[in-house]
Amino acid sequence: MIVSWNWLTEYVDLAMTHDDLVDRLTMSGLNHEGTDAVDKDHAIDLEVTSNRADCLGHIGVAREIAALYEIPLNVPDPQPVTGSDSISQHCSVVIESEAACERYTARLIRGVKIGPSPQWMQERLKSLGIGIVNNVVDATNYVMFECGQPLHAFDFAKLKDGKIIVREAQPEETFEAIDHRTYQLAPGMCVIADSGSAVALGGVMGGADSEVSEATVDVLIEAAYFDPLTVRSAARKLKLHSPSSFRFERNVDSENLDWASRRVCELILESAGGELLEGVIDVGSPPPSRQPVNLRYSQLQRLLGIEIPVDFVAPTLEKLGLVIESSDENSVTAIPPSWRKDLTRDVDLVEEVGRIYGFEKIPDDVNVPMSASYRPKADRVVDKVRNVLTAAGFDEAVTPSLVPQPWSDAFTPWCDSPPLISSQPMLGVLEEYSHNIGTVNLLRRSLVPSLLEVRRINDYRSNANVNLFETAKVYLPSDDREIPDQPMKLALVSHRDFFAVKGVVEALVKELNPLAAVQIKECEEALLDASQSGALWLGDQRLGWMGSVSESAKKQFGLRSDAIVVEIDLGVLEGETQLIACHANQSPFPPVTRDFNFIMDDEVRWASLESTIRSESGPLLESVKYLETFRDEARDGPGKKRVLFSVVFRSNEATLTGAQAEELCNRIITNCTSAHHATLVG
Amino acid sequence: MSIELFIEQLEALAQEADKAFSEAADSDQLDLARVEFLGAKKGRLKSLQKNMGAVPGDQKKTAGMKLNAVKNSIQDAFESAQSRLSSASSDGQRDVKFDATLPGEAFHVGRLHPITQTINELKDIMGRLGFTPAEGPEIEDDYHNFEALNIPRAHPARDPLDNFYLSVAETTSGNDSALSGNPLLLRSQTSTVQIRVMENTQPPVRIVSLGRVYRPDTADWSHYPMFHQIEGLMVDENVSLADLKTVLKLFASNYLGDEVPVRIRPSFFPFTEPSVEADYYWDGKWVEFGGAGIVDPNVLRAVGYDPEKVSGFAFGLGIERLCMIRHQITDIRYLFTNDTRFLHQF
Repeated sequence: MIVSWNWLTEYVDLAMTHDDLVDRLTMSGLNHEGTDAVDKDHAIDLEVTSNRADCLGHIGVAREIAALYEIPLNVPDPQPVTGSDSISQHCSVVIESEAACERYTARLIRGVKIGPSPQWMQERLKSLGIGIVNNVVDATNYVMFECGQPLHAFDFAKLKDGKIIVREAQPEETFEAIDHRTYQLAPGMCVIADSGSAVALGGVMGGADSEVSEATVDVLIEAAYFDPLTVRSAARKLKLHSPSSFRFERNVDSENLDWASRRVCELILESAGGELLEGVIDVGSPPPSRQPVNLRYSQLQRLLGIEIPVDFVAPTLEKLGLVIESSDENSVTAIPPSWRKDLTRDVDLVEEVGRIYGFEKIPDDVNVPMSASYRPKADRVVDKVRNVLTAAGFDEAVTPSLVPQPWSDAFTPWCDSPPLISSQPMLGVLEEYSHNIGTVNLLRRSLVPSLLEVRRINDYRSNANVNLFETAKVYLPSDDREIPDQPMKLALVSHRDFFAVKGVVEALVKELNPLAAVQIKECEEALLDASQSGALWLGDQRLGWMGSVSESAKKQFGLRSDAIVVEIDLGVLEGETQLIACHANQSPFPPVTRDFNFIMDDEVRWASLESTIRSESGPLLESVKYLETFRDEARDGPGKKRVLFSVVFRSNEATLTGAQAEELCNRIITNCTSAHHATLVG
Repeated sequence: MSIELFIEQLEALAQEADKAFSEAADSDQLDLARVEFLGAKKGRLKSLQKNMGAVPGDQKKTAGMKLNAVKNSIQDAFESAQSRLSSASSDGQRDVKFDATLPGEAFHVGRLHPITQTINELKDIMGRLGFTPAEGPEIEDDYHNFEALNIPRAHPARDPLDNFYLSVAETTSGNDSALSGNPLLLRSQTSTVQIRVMENTQPPVRIVSLGRVYRPDTADWSHYPMFHQIEGLMVDENVSLADLKTVLKLFASNYLGDEVPVRIRPSFFPFTEPSVEADYYWDGKWVEFGGAGIVDPNVLRAVGYDPEKVSGFAFGLGIERLCMIRHQITDIRYLFTNDTRFLHQF
């Protein structure tokens, strides 16, 4: 809302400086956004919150100033002279849609002479940046910016049968507005019609046909209360926002219709002459009665944290337009003014008294009681995850939660149900390369596709060694829950090879639980390479998936090189996490290390070989370490491999003897030979 | 070849090697000598070893023993030369061939996303002030996102065009949440977490909730349809605006690393009354910090608290704005593009 300094002086004596005024207004709720010098005036831009429609007019702002500076407020009392002919002889108004229009008033002025509005009025409107039209239209604008009530003037001759019908728009109905564009209306919108067609879109804009022009002689003045929601949805659907719709959307003062109507008539008579017909047409429901509100003084201290002198309270409320009904040493009861529909409870009055008294007087150094906070386990787990991954050289990414369909379908290991669909798409979140992929309106069921897109972006920007991770929720619909499942996942995408990334996953699990070990099992996921992939398990819980991105998926995601992806359920990881590690005694005796080199079939998996090695070795076996695999078809024949590994034995009780070690080795050799047809080399 | 000749050759080699090693003036010369005598393929000891095949069978064992002895003595000579040279260089002689100014082996420490870094810092500060982090679902129902927060049905914030309302596609149950009385949507604010916590906890409550929130703005330099918020909530007996102002001042001063003035000025939010906007004074001007206020009695009642017995304050801040100001990031979209050159800066 832009207010003019000069205009404000009409209602309050501005003895303060401009800077002092805007500071106090800011600190009492009208945030100062800037001031422009216009001719000999200041155009002051104030931010008005949506509950304060009363401050969308100069009088409302002046009332705030009067309360803040404890000075008188002068509001004009318009008493336009009327003729003897009565409006009811010439005009009628019917409200067919009470939901859209609670109250409608009309006055009629006959014999006006259209011309320029007075200089003072033009100057004030120009200060606000409002275009000048003629003495009738300018007067309606002037009164709107004076009191916040939008008004409309019709060329009465253009209203068929002198009738006004307030109704819902009909299907397919069209309407040409003052901007000379034709709008397609829809049921639910409120139109003002004569006995023929729509002449105005209620609360939004007048019609071209009935607009006041040079040829206008008689004008009908509309002052009405339109339903905020109806006006807002019509203005939004038609993209037709006006100062009128802005005010109706925020609830105008339905008790002020008559004042505004009289005021504009008075101004028109002054500058355009003519005769105001006797009486007013006033249809619809009378405004609801206003209920008194009781404010206990103790609430001020309790909620504001400062003591406000009791004798400050009632006068302040009065300055703001409340009428005091009664008061005693504990409380005051007052009826709020019609323009403050937001004041219905004691806490609303606490705010009023507090903001006029000054929030700057509230201390910022009180004793807030101490309280110990704690960090939830999930938080600490995610922190550890991030520490391991950054130490491993992975950078963290943050990507949007909604994805287009091809990405949504590309990888859905956690869930078979179709994704949740959003009513609104996310706009502007895809890079140009990906614009044609689809509408971004599906809630993702995996983080991996989003990370593959990030990888592609980095590939295209020639960024080398891209290793990224993200922790975020995925959204899994389920029929049996009110709110869909939204588990936290961790996903990785890496330039490194399969085992380098697997090593990171293993290190991650070890960090969270030194005793846990990840197993990998075969899986079938189209996104992943058939052999370089697997499902990750922790005991009997599925931890996630990892694998090399398949050739076809690389093509789909526009990747120029190989990528390994991982996705892990952070809930499972959290469940397995041991935040407090336990000590075990370290053996003081030396280890015995033995290397083995076995020839075996390619089909033998390391995991099963390792379990054979461990199976009968007992507590003396300290560790098994895989060393390498190599193949020598010339010597070993086709389909064979040599697997080298090293085993460390150690006792907690004594130094192992050669014979003990020998016996353990022999057991390993025997078991490996019988379980895997493995042959020991040399 | 007679064993005598073989032994003679071995001894001559040992003498020569000893001489070469002891005369080596630096590690390069020593290395050349090592290759000459001890080289694994073409070293002279290796070549001499081949002559052993020509030694008569019954003397092979003696020859072998001699070979081993000589091999050990040459190795010893090499090692003593090596230690002589290395102790010489530690005695203050600089080897110009060693360029300590060459770069170290590249070692990349991964970077946390600047949003995460900002969140961690804010969470940390709030933790020190006694606020425990709380989590809540991102998919919320209408009740928790609006109704319980005192946002009436006609409020502009509930416009379907301004929210991501959700529906389930082609399921057998045909459960279209947008049509039901309590539709699902992606939360438009983290205040929803306050409701869920208060529904399940009796006062006193002191929490901080953080996370993703969603509003369908088209992405541009300053908007993104997904962003992050942090919200603090404190409910107890007699919690007032003075407590709020005190906590905000500690919070801002901690975050900015210096004691800063904080002011609150009236504003409007459906879920607080009084509602305030908080600013901090930095670099000669007031900078918007975030929205705050005393929790509206309707909100307290919605979660089963008695507004006559307890009161509370709440405040909410946009993480992206704080993060962008702090790191001088000029376009919010950079945060979600994840170009590694961008990420490596933080």
